[in-house]
Amino acid sequence: MHTTIQPRAAAPVRRRRLSRRAIAVLGAALILAATLSACGGDDGPRLTIYSGRTSDLLGPLLERFADETGIEIDVRYGDSADLALLIDEEGDRSPADVFVSQSPGATGYLAEADRLEVLPDDVLELVDARYRSDAGQWVGLSGRVRTLVYNTDDVDSDQLPASVFDLTDERFRGQIGVSPSNGSFQDFVSAMRESVGDDRTLAWLEGLAANDVRTYSNNRAIVEAVGRGEIDYGLVNHYYNLRAKADDPAVASENHFFADGDLGGLILVTAASVVDTADDAAAAQRFVRFLLSEESQRYFAEETFEYPLVAGVEAVGDQPALDSLPAPVEDLSELGGDLRRTQELIDQSGIAG
Amino acid sequence: MVDAAPPPPGTAPSLGPAPGPPPPGTADALPTPTRSPLLVVGALAAGALFATPFAYLLARALDDPTGVWAVVTSQRTTAPLWRTLQLGVLVTAASTVLGTGLAWLVIRTDLPGRRVWRAVVVLPLVIPSFVGANAFVAAFAPGGLLEELLGPLGIDASRDVRGLPAAFLVLTALSYPYVYLPVAARLAGLSPALEESARMLGRRPWAVFRTVVLPQAALAIGGGALLVLLYVISDFGAVQFVGFDTLTRRIYASRTLDPTVATGAGLLLAAVALAVTGIERAAARRNPPGVSLALRGARPQPLGRWRAPALAAVATVVGFALAAPVAVLGWWTFEGIRNPDARGPFGSVVGPTVSTAMVSVVTAVVAVAVVFPIARLTVRHRRASGGLAATLVVAGFALPGLVVALALVRLFVPTPLYGTYSLLVIAYVVHFGGQALRSSQAAVAAVPSRMEEAAQLLGAGRVRRLLSVELPLMRPALVAGGGLVLLNTMKELPITLLLSPLGHQALSTRVWQTAEQAYLYDAAVASLVLIALSGVLTWLLVIRRMEHLGR
Repeated sequence: MHTTIQPRAAAPVRRRRLSRRAIAVLGAALILAATLSACGGDDGPRLTIYSGRTSDLLGPLLERFADETGIEIDVRYGDSADLALLIDEEGDRSPADVFVSQSPGATGYLAEADRLEVLPDDVLELVDARYRSDAGQWVGLSGRVRTLVYNTDDVDSDQLPASVFDLTDERFRGQIGVSPSNGSFQDFVSAMRESVGDDRTLAWLEGLAANDVRTYSNNRAIVEAVGRGEIDYGLVNHYYNLRAKADDPAVASENHFFADGDLGGLILVTAASVVDTADDAAAAQRFVRFLLSEESQRYFAEETFEYPLVAGVEAVGDQPALDSLPAPVEDLSELGGDLRRTQELIDQSGIAG
Repeated sequence: MVDAAPPPPGTAPSLGPAPGPPPPGTADALPTPTRSPLLVVGALAAGALFATPFAYLLARALDDPTGVWAVVTSQRTTAPLWRTLQLGVLVTAASTVLGTGLAWLVIRTDLPGRRVWRAVVVLPLVIPSFVGANAFVAAFAPGGLLEELLGPLGIDASRDVRGLPAAFLVLTALSYPYVYLPVAARLAGLSPALEESARMLGRRPWAVFRTVVLPQAALAIGGGALLVLLYVISDFGAVQFVGFDTLTRRIYASRTLDPTVATGAGLLLAAVALAVTGIERAAARRNPPGVSLALRGARPQPLGRWRAPALAAVATVVGFALAAPVAVLGWWTFEGIRNPDARGPFGSVVGPTVSTAMVSVVTAVVAVAVVFPIARLTVRHRRASGGLAATLVVAGFALPGLVVALALVRLFVPTPLYGTYSLLVIAYVVHFGGQALRSSQAAVAAVPSRMEEAAQLLGAGRVRRLLSVELPLMRPALVAGGGLVLLNTMKELPITLLLSPLGHQALSTRVWQTAEQAYLYDAAVASLVLIALSGVLTWLLVIRRMEHLGR
């Protein structure tokens, strides 16, 4: 291979520009180091929240709580399941005091790993017994309802099915969207197993697969697909379509709630729990109680269209009343290690393939 | 970024520790290239760090070895494995052709507007794959934007964008820069003499490319192709969005429901990554990089009547991979401005932009510094220890960020580093360091050892040799490698979410949070800021630094 070597050319010209760059990089590193050392210090009470709800939603509540109580809040936002894994992996050194979860499955994972403290009765009793753990390890904050979103251009309202079990009918072939990898769908399948047993659940999943069900990455993608008319129906949580309507009132999608008591209208609760590594359990419980205050509950309802779970606070929007919906799974955390059976059934049915 | 010209005495370059400081009293001795214990120790220490995610998966598997074995051999993971491989091979093939072709056209020919192309051709790399896939689906799906635009004209442009074809298109569009960047750096540093001779002997552009350019760039092409493959098999965002069930989807879907399945799928992914990396390494060793110095600029290859078609080809690729997603994001932004009710409580993007820029620049510099000893060891000394470390470093890119993050949590949670920026940077480096390795190897190979010896005989000390002789020659390749790390760090999600110091805000998490909340318009604005920031940083720190050698 051939080599051309010429004496270095033009190097001195570049000298000034480059040292500026080096200084910029060094400066950035220094600022980083400074920010790093600026954290810490301060001896007041502090709470660390791991939140599966986003900062847009929880942030204002955290600020209000800090103002009211003088307790400093640190928060890590992320996907509920990832945060549950993180707490598990951090073990007894976890900085987490409170875990706010978007999905029952993530809370169930930590309950099964025995990482959650039992909450005091006065906190638990703020919500109906159906929306909290029997063992007292978590308490529901808000409810999200499973629903069938449909395209109003393509579907007449009298064609709408009464039960989620009807979706295996031939007339729905290729027209239904689901999200098998989504926590809400998985929780729904767990509930179905508990309600009608594994065999009928598997048969339903296989029926969907045989009916050319289409899979999407998440609820939002399903609602978008229905809005575009790519599919006629989708199994989702109720507030996604409300959000889509807020974005674009003309969008051709509507929620259909299954007949009273049908499993298709299952309610899924978002939950709060105190992690067993909490340094100051009293402060952590105080925060949970704050989330269940009337003010916070109303805020949840207004911001998210979700159902408030504390008695006396009304839901926003025209969805059916909370007590007309089927009860949630008795206690997902008590399904225990059996949750993996849900995954097996979903895999086995071929729905995701 | 790494800089080339000799800085004033006393100013340390940003490269970090010089590889193996000279043992005291030996500075004037003749070179002893095969014995450098410090280099070996440094490489092994780095290798051990990079081995953490693999060790973590093994440790998890040992909790339930029979369960994991049953998972690994069952249809539940073998079918996704097959789909993963299919997608990986297809995308790698397409990206290799695109990336190589674009690099040659943009660096070595008289393509119109090539200076502009150089800046934009690499940008699709920074689009988070779930954003890219979302934009793609929103544009092309039945009832999507394209149908809305072209429908009235009677053109049916909508396609059923799902499964393998959709995953293939989206990932090819987002990952060809992995080939483009190292190849462009290699071409920029190549001596033009051979090409010019070939041209004078009457070879046409295509023949010059095939017989002269391609063989000299083969190693860079192979390294880039490997990165594409590893990236594709590790991707979750795009395959999740278009519904193509690969191993990473298996890991995510089962991570809390059935951790055994997640561990099994993770191990399969790791095995594929190590095997592919090992094979590529073996192939590369048989074909060591030639040394070629271009201290004068090459004259661009005239394309002649191929100028227009070439321009059309480049414009098509960039249009599809960059302009289309940006247009969709722009459309969402426009809708958000028109309809303020639809916007979420959008916070300022200034803080996240600044912290994203700082963390990713620091990460890129540290990554290059950490893998440099390994690069040197593998190229100059060909030590087995270096080879092992190199394989681990590169293969780690194929593991999902979630696995890397959890592995480092287990290792670092008892240390004071936990919860600091230092650990965040370490995690990024472990995940993305492999992208800087091949480029660093090319950089080391670009310095003829004869030249080093000459400088040494003339009495230049170790540091001075590094700064005044080696760095200027290594610069294009080092900068290209650092650039890849930079862009990947900016868009990384799981590591950022799980390992950031509490309260840290990054642009990627901003994009994710708003998308998660279904505030499409806000997600679009944050994505556009991310793309713009990466454009500015790549231009300032990467493209301009690569350029001065190959004009």
